[in-house]
Amino acid sequence: MRYWHHCKEGETYHTDQITLSERDIFEFAAEFDPQPYHLDREAGDNSIFGGLCASGWQVCALMMRLLTDTFKNNDIVLIGVQGVPSMRWKIPVFAGDSLSGDIEVASLQHSSDRDDSGLMICDVKVKNQKNEYVIALQASLYVAHSAQASL
Amino acid sequence: MNKKDTQNLEQKRYIRSRWFEDIPVGEFHVFGSHTFSEKEIIEFGTKYAPEAYHTDPQAAFDTPHRGIVASGFHVAAIWMKLMVSYMERFADGVQDGRRNGAGIGVEDMVWFHPVRPGHTLTYTYEIIAKPEKIIRDKWGIIRSRNEAFNQYNERVFSFEIDILAERNPNPDAACKRELMDNPR
Repeated sequence: MRYWHHCKEGETYHTDQITLSERDIFEFAAEFDPQPYHLDREAGDNSIFGGLCASGWQVCALMMRLLTDTFKNNDIVLIGVQGVPSMRWKIPVFAGDSLSGDIEVASLQHSSDRDDSGLMICDVKVKNQKNEYVIALQASLYVAHSAQASL
Repeated sequence: MNKKDTQNLEQKRYIRSRWFEDIPVGEFHVFGSHTFSEKEIIEFGTKYAPEAYHTDPQAAFDTPHRGIVASGFHVAAIWMKLMVSYMERFADGVQDGRRNGAGIGVEDMVWFHPVRPGHTLTYTYEIIAKPEKIIRDKWGIIRSRNEAFNQYNERVFSFEIDILAERNPNPDAACKRELMDNPR
């Protein structure tokens, strides 16, 4: 296992890739973001996005999935997310897009509100199959200090 | 429909269909509540944040969270769900556009307390700024502070978001008056 004190500033982790289907977009939108441009092709074509596209919150959720899997693959014990200091939606995500991310450790800080973990501030960039960035964010993550914390 | 109902309907249409210029800084809304079930917390967690504390009620007791908690982005997705529902209630007959602008970014998103099965969150937003910037010739930016409180009145979630709102192509027109006179 890798704990907070094992992690180093400047390290970069590369995530796996997730491909999003039209059905995935409809399903998420129907439950959480039922706006026309996420539910209907024609409405998408006529919208500011220029096509049927995924809810921005679905893109965030998929980022979280990529990050969670990547930390697991690297044996880093993630206790939770403290916050997202900033996040930008850069371009829309369309059906069939494949997303993957780069997670760079920007800084490591002591946590004032949790004894069991330290903060890892990461710069996260998620790109599509054309290497265009779809979202960029900072995420402030709680990473366990020891095996004790993960119990 | 009596006169009061007609007035209410017109006011609702007005809120949804406002141009950028007509949305005042300081406007505050309590726009919805949601109770998180264990089932939906697990569903969201399994898809998007597969950690024991989001997916497995038994194993979650052995994590620092001491039980199952909702993924932070689940709490955010419910914000969107309630916001769309709130806006839809004002949308009678209003076509796509204006307040249907895209979100462009988020600042200072923080999760302060865990959201557990059975917790009810109430979401609020306040318009806090209208940055002077015009996007693609016709969109302005509305910045709001959004918060969610649980049933113990603890603030559990907070963020600021910039959302595009269409600018009035004819800013001198008395938009409000026009809408009241000719409701869509």
